[in-house]
Amino acid sequence: MGYKVIEGLYYTKNDEWVKVEGDIGTVGITDYAQDKLGDIVYLEDIEKGNKIKAGETLTTIESVKAASDIYAPVSGEVIEVNSEVIKEPSIINKDPYGKGWIAKIKIENPDELKELMKAEEYSNYRKE
Amino acid sequence: MRYIPNTKTDEEEMLKEIGVSSFNDLLKDIPEEVILKKTLDIPTLSEEELTEKIFKISKKNLDFRFLKPLIGAGAYRHFVPEAVKAVISREEFYTSYTPYQPEISQGNLQSMFEYQTHLSRLTGMDVIIPSIYDGASATAEATLMAMRLTHKNKVITSSLLHPHYLETVRTYTAPHQTEIHIAEYKNGLSDLKSIESMIDENTAAVIVQSPNFFGGIEDIESIARIAHEKGTLIIQVIAESLSLGLLKSPAEMDVDIIAGEAQSFGMDLNLGGPYNGYLGSKMKYIRQIPGRIAGETTDKEGRRGYVMTFRAREQDIRREKATSNICSNHALNIVAGNVYLSLLGKNGIKKIAELNTKATHYLRTKLIETGKFSGFKYPFFNEFVLEVKDKERIKDKLINNGFIPPFDLGTYYPGLEGYMLFAVTEILTKKDLDFIVNLLER
Amino acid sequence: MKLIYEKSKKGRHGFSLPEDQFKEINLKDCVPRYAKEKKEKELPEVSEVEVIRHFTKLSKLNYGVDDGLYPLGSCTMKYNPKVNEKLASIDNFLYAHPFTDEKYIQGSLQIMYELGELLSKITGMDKFSLMPAAGAHGELTGVLMIRKYFEDRGEKRHKMLIPDSAHGTNPASSAMAGFKVVEVKSNERGGVDINEIERLMDEDTAGLMLTNPNTVGLFDENILKIAKIVHSKGGLLYYDGANLNALLGIVRPGDIGFDVLHLNLHKTFSTPHGGGGPGAGVVGAKSHLVEFLPSPIVCTDDGKYFFEYPKKTIGRVRAFYANFPVLVKAYAWILSVGGKGLRQVSEASIINANYILAKLKKYYKPAYDRTCMHECVLTGREYKEYGVKTLDIAKRLMDYGFHPPTIYFPHFEPYAEETIMVEPTESESKETLDEFINAMIKIAEEAKTKPDLLKEAPHNTPVGRLDEVKAVREPKLHA
Repeated sequence: MGYKVIEGLYYTKNDEWVKVEGDIGTVGITDYAQDKLGDIVYLEDIEKGNKIKAGETLTTIESVKAASDIYAPVSGEVIEVNSEVIKEPSIINKDPYGKGWIAKIKIENPDELKELMKAEEYSNYRKE
Repeated sequence: MRYIPNTKTDEEEMLKEIGVSSFNDLLKDIPEEVILKKTLDIPTLSEEELTEKIFKISKKNLDFRFLKPLIGAGAYRHFVPEAVKAVISREEFYTSYTPYQPEISQGNLQSMFEYQTHLSRLTGMDVIIPSIYDGASATAEATLMAMRLTHKNKVITSSLLHPHYLETVRTYTAPHQTEIHIAEYKNGLSDLKSIESMIDENTAAVIVQSPNFFGGIEDIESIARIAHEKGTLIIQVIAESLSLGLLKSPAEMDVDIIAGEAQSFGMDLNLGGPYNGYLGSKMKYIRQIPGRIAGETTDKEGRRGYVMTFRAREQDIRREKATSNICSNHALNIVAGNVYLSLLGKNGIKKIAELNTKATHYLRTKLIETGKFSGFKYPFFNEFVLEVKDKERIKDKLINNGFIPPFDLGTYYPGLEGYMLFAVTEILTKKDLDFIVNLLER
Repeated sequence: MKLIYEKSKKGRHGFSLPEDQFKEINLKDCVPRYAKEKKEKELPEVSEVEVIRHFTKLSKLNYGVDDGLYPLGSCTMKYNPKVNEKLASIDNFLYAHPFTDEKYIQGSLQIMYELGELLSKITGMDKFSLMPAAGAHGELTGVLMIRKYFEDRGEKRHKMLIPDSAHGTNPASSAMAGFKVVEVKSNERGGVDINEIERLMDEDTAGLMLTNPNTVGLFDENILKIAKIVHSKGGLLYYDGANLNALLGIVRPGDIGFDVLHLNLHKTFSTPHGGGGPGAGVVGAKSHLVEFLPSPIVCTDDGKYFFEYPKKTIGRVRAFYANFPVLVKAYAWILSVGGKGLRQVSEASIINANYILAKLKKYYKPAYDRTCMHECVLTGREYKEYGVKTLDIAKRLMDYGFHPPTIYFPHFEPYAEETIMVEPTESESKETLDEFINAMIKIAEEAKTKPDLLKEAPHNTPVGRLDEVKAVREPKLHA
């Protein structure tokens, strides 16, 4: 169906992406994920300062017909939360890789990135 | 068999279409050795034989239609208007399924919404879940909800919570390392000092029933203040919802979560069920509240309609992460409650609650005046506790004269073996009450 | 349609109250100051006539089993016999207070006891609790019993195996009972993957929850092997009885290795669904689990019936005893149908489902192309290319006067997607099924030729498709 995948990001099997700039990782969900969820109606608020491990639940996202957990792609401290998407989660449907980012994590262990997929690999993974 | 329309010929034709020669060919996945070889030994009765059999069995009960209860204890005989029964006997209500297809379920959905409105206006709560099985399971669900909201696992309950509700809370919380502390009571009401002394930083909620199991009207507002000062939620349990017609609403007393039993709103006693539990909360807790809820919306042409909403909390979507496993509830009793409250209206609910209160106070006053009874004094709604000297004789006297005797508190409260819990509803006239006083005086 | 509140007019009411004869009691003395209401409770003011007309009108916006075919898969929407309604509301039952001495409610207790015995006969279990109010409530009860059983033996088992095809209540109930849910994949034949069970069933696992026939309508042909594996590792087997309508008089869950089960009396045993309840989710146990049943259970001795409190009970799961009228209806149904009739019920429901499958599989590819039991699972996959979703097919069915089947459940990849789960029950005649089949075939054609007709459906209902996103984004939960 042609889901959008952006070069230069890292991807998880649960359809999160992380963009790395220095030791900061910006986290969101992919175009595929937002399409599968449908109209997103709720994103649970995240506490700034939380220390989280890769694979742990970062937050919960909800559409009318589905709800799923969003897992942290990397370990570290949550240093910023996108309050705009908490208020208006439908932004994620419109712009999952841009304005729809969810949180920024201070990456503790860059080695974890090696476990994640690159754009091409993720594209193949979600090819229907 | 009268409930199966297809004839042998029909079945043969269908088996042919299916492409098998006999019915047994359709069972080929079932291991031969487990298929029953004999017909189950159960007789078949005609409609008349069945009716006669069950009517005969029913005669082994007392003739309850003409026995007026002096007992409540979580199940109240109020007058149920025939209009309620007429509505819930309509097949469109009682033979339909959960409203999964809103386009052909607006009757049930709008009724849910109206009933949510009734309860919201009675309790002041923004979110009303119109049906959880009963008051006990609703209380248990409210407890789990408070634990999820606070991430704490200690709860404090008043010792005047209905004993069945408390037992149900224990069952539901058993797998979750929950500490349940029981606060003491004093003179028929919860002891605020006892509650306060038990709250610590690990306390998820304080659970207080009002009117309590003894009928006592609790000072919920003060308890809420104590709880909130210590960062704890307060759950008010309402086992006799008729009291809402008279008393200050939970929202006015800053209650966080309510768990109630709506049996008094148009439901017969039926030996204890089905009644209809409900939950309510402040809006900010909606994602942790369990159970179905209806919401208003529109279709493409802008026509108003109702749907089940906030569905992502439920088991069919969230599976093991759902707020509860509840799906089927006591939906038909939502309709019953809706009809009942619509008939009563603003003035009716008030009048009937007042009548219950006055009749109950009348009986207590008259019984005390006989000099044969004593008991602690506390504000109560339609139940009160008295010490009764010759309990067994009084029970017999009452039942022989057409009244179901009061609840024997010794069953659940060691130390109160000589005490009984009297309940009075509008079913009992002044004449009945005078007769009872006269009977018990002798 | 107007809300009851929009019909309210000051001064109207629909209730008759006895006159207040307690003038000497002053209400002010009865209510403590801290509990006096500040705000009046603004319920609507309407007369009895208006109330009756309002609800009659509302009822006409609903669709019930008495209106026609209601083929919801896994819901067993069968006919609810009229006589049972009457028998369940006999005065001596209706007005019985739950805290009346046992000696005064011998009739009610006899019905409860005898119903339990009949259910034991039908399922091969040893003793029933009639207490749970619904299927999910029964599941929670059963799973809590499993938990207590292991606790009692000093075993710590914290996992529960659940197939991907299971009802959502199974994992939800297990989580409520404190178990970690471990999903078991379905195999290419539609059963649970037996190698997976072998691999996953260990000493930390309490057991397996199984629906059989499962939610794709298939009897698990490996059931005896599965039971053996689970039991050999010390685990227990839970039977989700939602689909028992396929097995009456044919197979008894108690004979094929199940240790504990729940039955939905409002499905197999014909008690009405009431728009989503009340039903009853009674729980049956084999002898080794009887002492854990919720309390109280009904027993008999010397012609007398009484409540008994099992020794190691999990406790109460509700107030009082049961949804009593539901029990009377199920009891009445079993006796109307009888041993011979029970088998006929299952035969007819299996034939009906296979007939639909045979006639429709050309048009809606089944999840598994095999003989089914009492329900068949078709899919709407092939119409996706015309831009038609399974939802659209379901909505269009309403225009043909039918309640749609269950859709999008079960859902597990890669076998069960875009599912349409049809359960006709024994109540439907061949003619009705043919009408339904013809409608489904017409819709299949329309999907190709006039897809927009489906996407806009339904066309003749009181409201069209409602905006569920708006309902959550702009919540309005009361008037």
